[in-house]
Amino acid sequence: MAQEMIEGINPTRMELLKLKEREKLAVKGHSLLKEKRNALIMEFFNILEKVKGSRENVAKNLEEAYHDLTTAQVSMGDLAVKKAAMSVTESVDVDIDSRSIMGVVVPVVDSETQERTIVERGYGFMDTSVKVDEAAKKFEKSIQLIIELGETEKTIMLLASEIESTKRRVNALEHIIIPRLQNTVKYIEMRLEEMERESFVRLKMVKKSMESEEAVNG
Amino acid sequence: MSSKIAVMADQDTVTGFMLGGVKDGFPVDNMEEAGEKLKQLAKEYSIIITTEKIGDNFRETIDKMSSESALPMIIEIPDKEGSVERESDPIRELIKRVIGVEMVE
Repeated sequence: MAQEMIEGINPTRMELLKLKEREKLAVKGHSLLKEKRNALIMEFFNILEKVKGSRENVAKNLEEAYHDLTTAQVSMGDLAVKKAAMSVTESVDVDIDSRSIMGVVVPVVDSETQERTIVERGYGFMDTSVKVDEAAKKFEKSIQLIIELGETEKTIMLLASEIESTKRRVNALEHIIIPRLQNTVKYIEMRLEEMERESFVRLKMVKKSMESEEAVNG
Repeated sequence: MSSKIAVMADQDTVTGFMLGGVKDGFPVDNMEEAGEKLKQLAKEYSIIITTEKIGDNFRETIDKMSSESALPMIIEIPDKEGSVERESDPIRELIKRVIGVEMVE
């Protein structure tokens, strides 16, 4: 491993204590972040289960709906269908709440689309064909599905970006910051030991010279 | 909190969704118009339904909006010509990037 260290550190006992404290914090942070990452990934997989196939489902529903719409347009004319569409009352009632997955705020959509009868839709019967009803019914269903799909896809995206940044942080701590701290701690310890030995030797030498001086004098 | 849904797509798609009961439909004819409308709608509505063709044209804007905050929710759907054949599914790409391995579904 590259012996990377933090630059400009004085090998003193004070710095050593500070660094050890920082290392402890980094290790703790690392393990916490790792847990967060794992929890996020687990959540991610749960949601992936949900989204599986729902896009295809929406596409299939819409395809049928478009087909009916086109048929209606053919039999009644473009404008008449548009006119009918304008007079349709609102059917979707959506409540958007949010929930937090490990600190990621994701939307929770609570939508209510009631199955409506032809009367409730709000267009006249005189100038509309039965195909319009069919199309309206299918679009209602599609909208419901689309909203659900939107919720899960949005959640996936938000989770994904959070996982990415957490992963980057975990890796940075694991591969750069913690080793660097450890190396610096080791360096200071070695320097301190070396200095201790040096001063020990110096003391010995002083003692020796003092003794020899005494022997000469006395 | 009750939220508003908007549809921004070509004329026929908008007609269809209005039949389905979405009140706010915004038909757009060209892409410049769509881009401006999208920015405008993002402030006002919490769910925006648009087509994949429009989505592909504003991929960056939409990605930025989707990954930054919880709202608005932008949903892309196929239009009446069917869904756009893509070389890679954006969701699958995302999974690959996040998990690091390709998942076979």
